[in-house]
Amino acid sequence: MIKRGDVKGCLAGRILRIDLSNKKIWTEETKSYAKKTLGGRGINSLIMINEIEPKVKWYDPENLLCFGAGSLVGTITPGACRVDISTINVFSGGKGSANVGGFWGPELKYAGYDNLIIVGKSKNPIYLYINDDKVEIRDASFIWGKNTFETEDILRQEIGDDDIKIALIGPAGENKVRGSAIIIDTAKAAGGSGVGCVMGDKKLKAIVVRGHKKIEVAEPEKFMKVVEKCYQKCKDEPNTRMMRKAPFNLYSNPEWEGWNTNIVIKNGQDDQWGREKRIRLMNPVTGIPSMQKGVRACYSCPIGCMPFMEINKGKYKGDKGEGFWINTIMGHACRFDISDPEAVVESWLLTNRLGLDGDYVAAGLSWIFELYEKGIITKEDTNGLELDWGNSEVLIKMIKKLAYREGIGDLLADGMVEAAKKIGRKSEYYLIQVKGQPSIEPFRIPKGWALAVSTSPVAGRHLRGATMGSNRYGPKPRPGNFGVTDYRNQAKGVVWQGKTKELEDNLGICNYVGTWSGANFLTITDFVELINAGMGLHLTEEELMDHYAVIGRNLEKAFNALHTDMSREDDIPPKRFREEGVKSGPYKGFKIDENKYNEMLDEFYELWGWDKKTGMQTRTCLEKLGLKDIAEKLAKQDKLDDN
Amino acid sequence: MKIVRNGNLCYACKTCQLACSFHYTKTFWPERSSITVSRNPQDGTIKWHMDATCDKCMGEEGLLCVKYCTYGALQILNNNANEQEVKEYD
Ligand code: SF4
Ligand code: SF4
Ligand code: SF4
Repeated sequence: MIKRGDVKGCLAGRILRIDLSNKKIWTEETKSYAKKTLGGRGINSLIMINEIEPKVKWYDPENLLCFGAGSLVGTITPGACRVDISTINVFSGGKGSANVGGFWGPELKYAGYDNLIIVGKSKNPIYLYINDDKVEIRDASFIWGKNTFETEDILRQEIGDDDIKIALIGPAGENKVRGSAIIIDTAKAAGGSGVGCVMGDKKLKAIVVRGHKKIEVAEPEKFMKVVEKCYQKCKDEPNTRMMRKAPFNLYSNPEWEGWNTNIVIKNGQDDQWGREKRIRLMNPVTGIPSMQKGVRACYSCPIGCMPFMEINKGKYKGDKGEGFWINTIMGHACRFDISDPEAVVESWLLTNRLGLDGDYVAAGLSWIFELYEKGIITKEDTNGLELDWGNSEVLIKMIKKLAYREGIGDLLADGMVEAAKKIGRKSEYYLIQVKGQPSIEPFRIPKGWALAVSTSPVAGRHLRGATMGSNRYGPKPRPGNFGVTDYRNQAKGVVWQGKTKELEDNLGICNYVGTWSGANFLTITDFVELINAGMGLHLTEEELMDHYAVIGRNLEKAFNALHTDMSREDDIPPKRFREEGVKSGPYKGFKIDENKYNEMLDEFYELWGWDKKTGMQTRTCLEKLGLKDIAEKLAKQDKLDDN
Repeated sequence: MKIVRNGNLCYACKTCQLACSFHYTKTFWPERSSITVSRNPQDGTIKWHMDATCDKCMGEEGLLCVKYCTYGALQILNNNANEQEVKEYD
């Protein structure tokens, strides 16, 4: 445990606690939690493992819904705008976490709170109104049933303040569709883990925040010097301009290598999409890029990667919104073999309006399309819809059915694993899921990506360590060997990237502005300098990497062990990608080699300090982090490696 | 000297508002700023306003709002810049 003085700055100071069952509101100090984990997700994870009993399920009132703005959020640190939303994962039953940028997190801090922890359940629809010290639980019957755009408008009018920031759910969350998102500023989705489903289950429609307070730092002048250096780096990096429109700048080029390595076609039948389709979808004059009306940035972000889109022709002309992202290309286009640009943008806008997680929609519905193709389900099961690849109209209809639980949508809304059990007939083989959560990620070609996605403690998403290549956007040196398709040395890179992501989520820095992109933006050295000048700690890089970059992952892994039966088996890529090779393109024949993958996994466990064979946490590792009590809990359940 | 914003280059990141609050308070306090920025994510409009309290960063090295706008949306114009030029920068 690190003993290096108290936290003296950057925090808002308090954690806001709300019990929806008993309508109770109280606060506590953030400091002691922040000293252990720095802040943000770390605090959420600590509270969850200390307070949620292993028998509690996501739908129990005892489940917590935790919001954590990182410790640097609200200062001028580049990209420090992120909020972690943690709760029990509706798919895995273990730790759930989703991360989102925008303006809501900073506003929460200006209102005086670092974290917001919600327990209990309301009987009737409600929303929370937080205006500095005034915190109210208000009736939400007038917005229940409205989509996210409508709700945002109505609440703005009702409250009469343009500066409020809102986190809310759409009809999908209200209907407890498992893959529901929490949407911020109508545009940014906290998508994974079913966080919106839990919010809906608590009958909580929205959280409105307005803050007027200040955030102080320990040594203002020194802090500002570090910040100035960081901004200068972001300005000087030659890749910044390209990254501002990354989905367009990269994918508009049909020869870009990402088209070969990152894309999954027709629910995993192939990893290679035809050149003419790439061009049709991404043509700068007639494709998706032509609908970009501007670009926006999150709070205090010098990169700015969110295109503002307006559909400029066809049936959906005039529909618009902010934040189009690469996953939409991977998910809503390639996965369904849809190259109609307007329909792809519309399907993305629709998921935001209905409050669905785009990845869940893409992975789950493309599975159903494949079952239809294979004759495992028929028109009778789909309410007459012909789920043919490339049919965008049908995709849009299916998204609505899912959100409103109509017909086959009702079957899918309870999660695809459940649906596969009901459908039977080998349907589970075609379902691409990790730890129960449907996944759109590529596995067969980029091995670091496959390892990170398969081992993610929050189930099947890439942000906990995925690596693509050493020089994705820039020259930043990183550990490990990053030849995309190699197995050798990948684990080093994945663990390093996983550790830096821990820091980023605890500090609230966007990982795009941090270490993930590979461009010359913020580094570990910058993190240490910001923490020391801002929070008044006296850390070295080693202490940061050995403690704060490790504790959060261990809390989440322990939570999974206490709440589920996850084992090494659950850290292996989906069966389909171990059995079927890529069908065409330069990586034809590529699939996951189980032996080589398992060697990679051994090394991965070892590098985290866990038992190489079982993947279980060790007493030594946990005690070093000051988590003796958690080691005891695990030992009692026989889930600790005691050697 | 006059500070003007080019609306086409503005990403609505609010960094200028925050930088200005640091000039006045040595804290991060968007309520104490000469600049306010807001945006409507549904229709794409951005509102940016600088009020008369701006003291041109008295005592600082350079103008903080201009320095921290990495998008190059804020520009300093001389008092004798002609109308045409000012208009162009919204
Ligand atoms: S890089 Fe993009 S997502 Fe990250 S903070 Fe900046 S604008 Fe937001
Ligand atoms: S810093 Fe620049 S881009 Fe950001 S809001 Fe201010 S003027 Fe616009
Ligand atoms: S010049 Fe200085 S005082 Fe004036 S608006 Fe910009 S930051 Fe504020």
